[in-house]
Amino acid sequence: MRRRKRRGWRRYINLPYVGSFFITLFILLPMYWMLASSFKTQSNVGASPPQYFPNPISTSSYHSAFNDGFGGYIANSLIIAICSTALVLVFGTFAGYALGRLPMRGKYPVMISLLMISVFPEIAVVAPLYLILKDVGWLNSYQALIFPYTAFNLPFAIWILRNYFLGISLSMEESARIDGAGSLRTLWSIVFPQVRPGVFTAGVFTFTACWTEFLMALSFDFGKKTIPVGIASFGSQFTVPYGAYFAASVIAVVPIAILVLVFRKAVVSGLTSGAVKG
Amino acid sequence: MAAIDLTGGTSATTRRHSAPRVPRDQTTRHFARVGWGFSAPAFVVIGVFTIFPILFALVLSLENVNVTANGFSLLGGTLNNYKIMGESSLWHHALWFTSIYTLVTVAAELLLGTLFALVLERLAAGRGAMMALLLIPWSLITVISAELWSYIYNPTYGVLGEFWHAITGGSAPNVLGYPLSATIALMFADVWKTTPFVAIIVLAGLVMIPEELIEAAEVDGASSWKSFWRVTVPLLRPTLGIAVLFRVLQAFGLFDLPYVLTGGGPGTSTESLAMLGYNTMFTNIDFGPGAAVAVSTAVIVLIVCLVFLRAFRQQVGRETLNA
Amino acid sequence: MRGRRTSARAGRRSLRALTVGGMLATVGMAGVGLAPSSQAAVAHAKSTTITWWASPINTSGPDLRTTLIKAFEKTHPNITVKLETAPTDENTNQTDLVTTLSGGAKTPDVVMGDVVWPGLFGAHGLALPLSKYLPKSFFKRFAPGLVAGASYNGQVYGAPFFQDQGFLYYRKDLLAAAHMSVPRTWEQLRADAAKLAKENKVKYGFVWQGASYEGGTCDFMEYYGDTGASVLNATDKGSVFNVAAATKALSFMRSLVTSGASPGAVDTFQEPQAMTAFADGQAAFMRNWDYAFSTSQAKGSKVIGKVGVAPLPTFAGRPYPGYSTIGGWNLYINPHSTHVQADLTFIKFITGVQAQTIEARPPFSEIPTNQAVRTNPAIKHLNPPFAVLAQTKLISRPAQTPNYPKISQAIYANANSAISGSTSPAKAAAAIASGIKAALSSSGL
Repeated sequence: MRRRKRRGWRRYINLPYVGSFFITLFILLPMYWMLASSFKTQSNVGASPPQYFPNPISTSSYHSAFNDGFGGYIANSLIIAICSTALVLVFGTFAGYALGRLPMRGKYPVMISLLMISVFPEIAVVAPLYLILKDVGWLNSYQALIFPYTAFNLPFAIWILRNYFLGISLSMEESARIDGAGSLRTLWSIVFPQVRPGVFTAGVFTFTACWTEFLMALSFDFGKKTIPVGIASFGSQFTVPYGAYFAASVIAVVPIAILVLVFRKAVVSGLTSGAVKG
Repeated sequence: MAAIDLTGGTSATTRRHSAPRVPRDQTTRHFARVGWGFSAPAFVVIGVFTIFPILFALVLSLENVNVTANGFSLLGGTLNNYKIMGESSLWHHALWFTSIYTLVTVAAELLLGTLFALVLERLAAGRGAMMALLLIPWSLITVISAELWSYIYNPTYGVLGEFWHAITGGSAPNVLGYPLSATIALMFADVWKTTPFVAIIVLAGLVMIPEELIEAAEVDGASSWKSFWRVTVPLLRPTLGIAVLFRVLQAFGLFDLPYVLTGGGPGTSTESLAMLGYNTMFTNIDFGPGAAVAVSTAVIVLIVCLVFLRAFRQQVGRETLNA
Repeated sequence: MRGRRTSARAGRRSLRALTVGGMLATVGMAGVGLAPSSQAAVAHAKSTTITWWASPINTSGPDLRTTLIKAFEKTHPNITVKLETAPTDENTNQTDLVTTLSGGAKTPDVVMGDVVWPGLFGAHGLALPLSKYLPKSFFKRFAPGLVAGASYNGQVYGAPFFQDQGFLYYRKDLLAAAHMSVPRTWEQLRADAAKLAKENKVKYGFVWQGASYEGGTCDFMEYYGDTGASVLNATDKGSVFNVAAATKALSFMRSLVTSGASPGAVDTFQEPQAMTAFADGQAAFMRNWDYAFSTSQAKGSKVIGKVGVAPLPTFAGRPYPGYSTIGGWNLYINPHSTHVQADLTFIKFITGVQAQTIEARPPFSEIPTNQAVRTNPAIKHLNPPFAVLAQTKLISRPAQTPNYPKISQAIYANANSAISGSTSPAKAAAAIASGIKAALSSSGL
């Protein structure tokens, strides 16, 4: 960790911790409200004035969330998001490296075309994509979402990975090339370790994008509902089932938090050792 | 014109380049081939699953479309969809609203996100936990986070009204009932959910800045404020650029949040371009004009991004685009 | 739920759609594309499975949909009904149907859809014209007016499943304490509600639905109808929208807020917000649908035993009662369904006496569409809203046109502006008029 001389009042106050405290507050206050309300009884959810702490504590919202096969939705979401993320990271790392470091021509139009794909509103592509997936007989299968998710998340991953590839130091890669190491080996052993934070970032964002996507999941995979589609049929015509929404959402956050902690350790931890920095 | 060039560029593997030819040696050519080989899987997946739908949407926007039980029947080319769109005050307003919304939220998220990243980067312990924490709002299903805010803003049983009552003694404000306050409420919900996205991108960029550079600056006697502006910010600029770029894209596609929180109201004051396109396509079953709205949205954002990139490229030079 | 669309897999085809040429071919052939797998239908003639697409109707207690399916399967052992739970949000529900039905999907077979869909779905061929498959005598089982509401261009597209309409709910205890009678005019309601709120007898006088959404159109139609005006002409192709009448209606709706009868936040209220306030004991009057009575008497409510129900009032000088907007749900058939006969059998059962009696009884308490059940005295006494049913006067939203969604958007968005005070009632009324005109001429978004 960096050490700096602290002057004046800063000697007594650890700014990063104070900052972290406020960040935590900013994020957790609304989250607390979600968590607390998920444990309220049906009628206390709409109580006025609102209960700051659920009393009595009730798990009925969790029961009603799980009543409708929620476990299955979590499994579907996990399978689809993990597969899409893996594909995006593998394809994206290779493409990002090539576009960042190899002397290809026409990179600029390629990068801009990728941007254009990310720009295009999802609402406009759902209907034609439905026709394609129906033609190949993929509707209501995992691949009906895995491949579109991969395709629509790759542009961002390539952009961001390329940026990190551009930022690393050249010398080792060049000496490896002079040593006659193959491109693949150079990429794997010299370049890849240096962009782990980028891989983490791209991976996390791809995963969350797949985890929360709604419109395609609704249209292509109603037979294999993901969490957002499952949640969409909570409640009934004139009710907003806040309790069940919040309970489902609290459950859906857990895998993400675990994933971030585990994935981060695996991907980023080696970085600060300094060994790769030459 | 830029757009035409780009459509061709998507299938860059087969495209003939007009760029001036630079003499290339054997090794360069070899590595270029390797490069295309490395990128091929990504380009194939993207090509198969995005190009047809995008071209299809372009075609729909230029046709008289009738939706039938037998798919889309195209009844001849026309520019009428764009004419209908251009003459609609709904579109003008949505464009204005979406632009302002994008400008404000992206600026706020960039500032706040950078601040978050700087704090986290200086954290001696617990950085992993803080990152997991940051990702919680981001990973919430947008519709649910919109429901959470509608629950918080609710004037009869919302906690915001209760806070307001406790502080001022007045009755709960009708936050979503006025165009300005509804817009601010939407923006706040957006900043809460999306600042972590920016923070994490920037943090990854910060971590990758070689420590020696900053230490060198400090040895030279620069204050940490000065070294931040002179060393960190310039090195961070490409990362910030990407964060801004993709945030602009996402913000311009704003949909779920106003769809749940305000329904576009009061009146149509918080109706975004994507909502307008969605309503036109799926609620009115009017795919021609709907596709025109979608395509125009994409083209406008693309132009903004190109201008941004151009300005950006001149500033930063090598790092960002043509390495 | 798994494998619902297994039949879609039968039509595996090459990816020729991916070339630009192929794309255009697909556009033309998308629907014709997959030949109906009639062999499959024959093979399973002995036991047919049909899919019923329906969003959740009731929240607590037994599910009305599965209860009806069980009853059906008992009397029709050769037909199995698979329930597909549709999204609760109606726009989302419609979006998925538009994508799948126009994409040529063979399932779902039977679709539970809104009463305002016949114009839209009929015009785009997304629903089968039932009148071509069922004799005229079949439609005589429904209460008068419902079949006309389910028709478009001379064909009946939907079989009315359950009806809904606006009612006035009031707090018997509060009215008795203040020596008030149930209001018969809007003006009286406004005065009473404002008085109760001002004297702090209750937090809000009158709650209703003023948000910028479909329900806003429903509420507006009741005030507008009470002035005696209508929206479309007899052919449903031209506008007879009366700006003066609409100004009167909107001025009154706005005055509910300014007089203190209704909370300022009513411009963000949908059914749940109104219901929550009423069930929490915070409102004296509420305009809401049929479900509101049983919900107000459910566990956790603070107004159990204190709620009365009446027809909606009208403007002073107009014949009582005022209009109630028709809501509710119909059953439609997917034009690509491969089991039309089984679908029709199911629809006949669901609209028949046995099924309609089930849905009318507690705990479901939905308004039956079958006239024999509706007029059955034993049923009438089961649910207080049913008792006032005969007195109410109904008004339909102008939905007998494929342009209805645009008309409705013009109404609710502008009405919402007027209610919130950001536009004057006169300006909003004029904007509705031009919005309706644009919608009917298909110009504008």
